[in-house]
Amino acid sequence: MAWFRKRPFLWFIAPGLLLYSVFTVYPIFSAIQISLNHWDGIGPMEFVGLANYVELFTSETLLGQFKNALGNSLTIFLLNALAVLPAQLYMAYLIYTEVRGYRFVQAMIFSPQFISTPVIVFMGTLLLDGNIGVFNKLLEAIGLGEYARPWMGLPELGIYIVWLLAAWAGIGVGMIFFLGAMKMISGEVMEAALLDGATFWRRFFSIVLPQLKTTILNMLVLTYIFSMTVFDYSFILGGVSGGIGGSMDVMALFFYRMAFGDNSAVGGTLNTNAMGMGTTIACVMFAIIFVVALIQVAISYRSMEED
Amino acid sequence: MWKSRKISTNTILLWLYAGFTLFVLLYLTYNSFRTKPDLLSNTFGIPERFTLENYIRLFGEQNFMRYVGNSTLILIGALLLVVVLSSMAAYGLGRFQFRGRNMLTMYFLIGLMFPVQLGIVPIFLLIRSMGLLNTHVSVILILSAGISMPVFLLTVFFARLPKDLYESAKIDGASEWTTFLRVMFPLASPVVFSICIIMSVQIWNQFFVPLLFLNSEANRTIPLLIMKYTSNLMYTMDMAMVASVAATIPVLALFYVLAQRIMDGVSSGGVKG
Repeated sequence: MAWFRKRPFLWFIAPGLLLYSVFTVYPIFSAIQISLNHWDGIGPMEFVGLANYVELFTSETLLGQFKNALGNSLTIFLLNALAVLPAQLYMAYLIYTEVRGYRFVQAMIFSPQFISTPVIVFMGTLLLDGNIGVFNKLLEAIGLGEYARPWMGLPELGIYIVWLLAAWAGIGVGMIFFLGAMKMISGEVMEAALLDGATFWRRFFSIVLPQLKTTILNMLVLTYIFSMTVFDYSFILGGVSGGIGGSMDVMALFFYRMAFGDNSAVGGTLNTNAMGMGTTIACVMFAIIFVVALIQVAISYRSMEED
Repeated sequence: MWKSRKISTNTILLWLYAGFTLFVLLYLTYNSFRTKPDLLSNTFGIPERFTLENYIRLFGEQNFMRYVGNSTLILIGALLLVVVLSSMAAYGLGRFQFRGRNMLTMYFLIGLMFPVQLGIVPIFLLIRSMGLLNTHVSVILILSAGISMPVFLLTVFFARLPKDLYESAKIDGASEWTTFLRVMFPLASPVVFSICIIMSVQIWNQFFVPLLFLNSEANRTIPLLIMKYTSNLMYTMDMAMVASVAATIPVLALFYVLAQRIMDGVSSGGVKG
């Protein structure tokens, strides 16, 4: 008891540490262990070593689905990094310079963040559906009716629709992060640059952007993790199979399908290795994320040390 | 003045984008007052009439308040746990010097890398063995275990507080607990507010965890109800419309009232990360 009394911090840390360890850290290690077994989640476990990993990377159907899902997830990441992130910077800079009506604009752009995914997808349907969609109506109105399509149902557009909806919903968060970082820049520096004759965009590229390096890097990592684990949009739009021909399939959905899909042990009766293969995919996803995420932990830790 | 009050093409683009979002919200709300046949066969025509029938059905026969109750219960439970656990842990890490402190801080950061999905199979097995499947407690426990970000933000906050503060509380003879509850925790309330905002959004709109852990209709949350309606639009277009409005507009109204504070809170969470 005396030992504990001398270490009061233990009392403060212990409860959080316990819950965090049980439900966040332990599952990762447990998943690695389960992935080395052939298991349906109910019957006895059979140790098979790396056989699940070998199967994942050699079985034609599994590898095909894996490549497709990974490709789609990477597509989302690239589009986010190349289109959404610059757009967020652009919006943040305009709001930072307090363009007319910036408060309203800022609130509007951020507001989809508060809308749950099924509603976002439903809004997408209202706009892009073949029959009831506003977009087709608009095309007709401006004489481009021949281009009207059932946009939400076209397999070749599947993953881009997923991206579009996710981007609309999430663009505000990054924008606010960037805006927050911009507000740390002293107004005097900006004023001086203006007096020196630096143009609006010159000030952006020479003063604002260099200040934002860490925040941008951080956002890139967050975007990467998001892209690798985004699930809701594909599931709601394309169901458990990930749309026609897997056109909307992403890594998290592929994982869900294997572990909890219709033919898994927990959801159905067909698959005898749902837990084994499910955790194998989770571990592969973990490896894919880990490499990049280490960077972020390093940044966070360093910024804390600096303080 | 380096701030630009002049209306440029950029400004207009920004307005158009914001206007588009506003349009979507208004369009949704407008359609929630129309009947299903009117919606489906006369989508762009002039509405036959406006009606509150959809709302009456949603709150009556469709039992919408039950889903609101379920979502609220999970939100409050998880938020309370997150705030209590993370502020205590962060206080322990930020206030005291001890061996292994850096290691422990790093350990709490690991969670930033692991979205809940990756460990969901073992979590599922754990919850099953605890007999908590299909209970709100399971969702609350899982969602509140992700305390990496709150612990990080609060640890930074507590570590930055001047040492004198602790010392003077000690001289006054306050115990560690009293110091924490009466002095330190209230000081952290702006950070706690940011955390509450960020976590509330995540928890309220959480889709994956409730989908897996809440099987019976009686326990389900609002996003799951809306998905039930939207998955079969031919039959439940009207309900999808009105449930979307009922789930979205009050939350957004609250956001617009608190907009500046909320966005400041969210950005303070990002800058430090």
